[in-house]
Amino acid sequence: MADKARDRDEIFVEYTKSVCPVCKVVVDAQVNIRDNKVYLRKRCKDHGWFEALVYGDAQLYTESTRFNKPGTLPLAFQTEVRDGCPSDCGLCPEHKQHACLGIIEVNTGCNLDCPICFADSGRQQERRGPDTGGYSITREQCALMLDTFVEAEGEPEVVMFSGGEPTIHADILDFVDMAIERPIKIVNINTNGIRLATDPKFVDALAGRNGRNGTAVNVYLQFDGFEEATHRAIRGTDLRERKRRALDNCAEAGLTVTLVAAVERDLNDHELGDIIAFGVDHPAVYAVTFQPVTHSGRHVEFDPLTRLTNSDVMEMITEQRPDWFRPGDFVPVPCCFPTCRSVTYLLVDRKDDRTDVIPLPRLVDVDDYLDYASNRVLPDPELRASLERLWSASAFMNAPTTMDGLAAATANAECAACGIDLPEAAKDLGDRVFMIVVQDFLDPYTLNVKQLMKCCVEEITPDGRIIPFCAYNSVGYREQVRARMSGVEVADVVPNSRQLADVTVESPYGSRIARDGHREEAGEQPPVAPDHTNVGRRAVEEP
Amino acid sequence: MTERPLPAPGPDAVKSCCAAAYGTDAVALLLGESYHPGGLALTRRLADSLAPAPGARVLDVASGPGTTARLLAAEYGARVDGVDLGPATVATARAVTERAGLADRVRFHEGDAERLPFAAGTFDALVCECALCTFPDKEAAAAEFARVLRPGGRVGITDVTVAEGGLPEELAGIAGWVSCIADARSEEGYRALLEQAGLRVRRAERHVTAIARMVEQIDARLRLLGMTAPERLAEAGVDARALTPYLEAARAAVADGTVGYSLLLADKPGSAGS
Repeated sequence: MADKARDRDEIFVEYTKSVCPVCKVVVDAQVNIRDNKVYLRKRCKDHGWFEALVYGDAQLYTESTRFNKPGTLPLAFQTEVRDGCPSDCGLCPEHKQHACLGIIEVNTGCNLDCPICFADSGRQQERRGPDTGGYSITREQCALMLDTFVEAEGEPEVVMFSGGEPTIHADILDFVDMAIERPIKIVNINTNGIRLATDPKFVDALAGRNGRNGTAVNVYLQFDGFEEATHRAIRGTDLRERKRRALDNCAEAGLTVTLVAAVERDLNDHELGDIIAFGVDHPAVYAVTFQPVTHSGRHVEFDPLTRLTNSDVMEMITEQRPDWFRPGDFVPVPCCFPTCRSVTYLLVDRKDDRTDVIPLPRLVDVDDYLDYASNRVLPDPELRASLERLWSASAFMNAPTTMDGLAAATANAECAACGIDLPEAAKDLGDRVFMIVVQDFLDPYTLNVKQLMKCCVEEITPDGRIIPFCAYNSVGYREQVRARMSGVEVADVVPNSRQLADVTVESPYGSRIARDGHREEAGEQPPVAPDHTNVGRRAVEEP
Repeated sequence: MTERPLPAPGPDAVKSCCAAAYGTDAVALLLGESYHPGGLALTRRLADSLAPAPGARVLDVASGPGTTARLLAAEYGARVDGVDLGPATVATARAVTERAGLADRVRFHEGDAERLPFAAGTFDALVCECALCTFPDKEAAAAEFARVLRPGGRVGITDVTVAEGGLPEELAGIAGWVSCIADARSEEGYRALLEQAGLRVRRAERHVTAIARMVEQIDARLRLLGMTAPERLAEAGVDARALTPYLEAARAAVADGTVGYSLLLADKPGSAGS
């Protein structure tokens, strides 16, 4: 009996490039839809097949393609196109977007040793001595990094000081001053909050800089939930009291805080609604960012096929607060690739007995205005411009451009309803608006150069490069910079997936690295992400 | 029942802040007179279905501020006529179109859908969005659609649908101030209207999310007004809290299919000839 031809169980939707999670060699990749979920699959000649979930809702994934806006050219590129993406970072002239946000990691040291840290930071140097491969940047290096950013952007939107833990760098306030002196609109301090909780003078020093020279200074506070188990699993210690004090100190000093939650499946994904509700009620908090844990650097063991994605997080938010959210309340951000980041804004109505919220996309047809798929004639280009400022990686509460955009968008929403002087009514919405961001970063499993090429969140390196955040973490640039800065060899980090448990060992930083340590074989330092896809050979061998 | 969540049809407070043509309509009060479910995305779907050739003549019946008419001209190259009842609406549409530099291709006329001011066979295509439901004499309007189209011409409508059994009891009371559902038909009802006028219905699609979204938008707008301008809402006689049960009933009616939104595409038999 002849076999009957069968259909594949998946729909092939994209062909792209990625890297091998083990050896970081560039390989072909394919994106497929199976059971209404989106997966990226690839094969390394040496390490075999890899597959990971990239979006939990295939319909949302395909519909989001229309939220894709033409990129803006930066004023300067730092590298040339030589081997192609992702080996030429950056930014190379083939990059499709300017930098909405530049990250400056001021150190690798931290006052915590969290089990989850994409930067592989911690107290390693204190514990194991100076040869463990850590570094802190100097003022000269910080100046060069800021100047690189200004040269590329003219008037950069956002600089984020990160680490490590930036608040333990002796020069952090000077770094903030150096940013404020330059034409940079927003400075964010990305922190675990320990110093904010314990050093009110430091909080005051930051608050005193907020608004100086027209630059907003905000706090981006790591905040993963309320349960002790959450804190122990993600941070290794119970930080609840520290977080509370940090927030109260910020409120007292008048600093605007974004809560940033790293979300891991089955670990703290049940706390999303509570984090939003807490933030909405706290006087210092104006935004929450949810980031599915980036499986680069250090993290707990995971299964790439069931990892959390943006659509999962949005679904969970809706399930946990059905009184506040419905499907469709989040809209993809069009400046980066639309599946990377979704955002909503809430208008908050605090009554005596309860708090209600109104998601802005229910008031304004945001999806009509941010739909770039066809060349369209819009009734109100100014409203689109306002919404673009809001649905952007550079949007931060307390920044003038963001607040202006909110006032304009809300006023428009109200104008359609009759007769009420709405721009006037919208003026004092400032402290009644709350922002929620859902951002899934790429890891060595999910890396897709299509997304990378339009990334607008960039790491600024001490040697004057601007490297897409996800390339920096997943392709090998982080290891390269750490090795050059510290003078200590740094092996490529490999994800801590179940599948790879047998071929990896623990690194000096707590992350996983390949058991065979392929990097050392090469003698001299190999290039980042050597390319197996553009090998310079004929497609078909000559006879 | 003496309490009214929204004012009864007619009070000046509402009229004064709404376009005259929509004077007593709660949807227009909250979402604006140009509102129709599905937004620009559904308008584009409708336009794509009609696929007017560059230079084709298209009539927009109940053209409101002219957004769809301008879209048809700018994105499809059509020559568009818009008809609307309200002089103020027509004036606004003209002014906006002038500013958009489309006045040479888009014209607006005051007129009644039941007596369209055009000669028979004038148009290659006709659109009517969320408006047939409000026309008192739907048979006359459908006959007018058929008359002004050339043979082979196409008509596309989107409209609110109410199932054959009518509105559920909890919603019956709102018909007086939500004009689009007061006399809405079922999808089959619209189909029959068009067929009786001599048009052939080629396609009918349900767009439930469009109407579901409208309910959420009404809810959101009411709450926004409650937040930012409660005194104006009170002046207009609107009690947002009393509306909550109606919104719940509306959500349920959308969920069980009693209330919906449909797109119908029909054409006029005969060929255009040469």
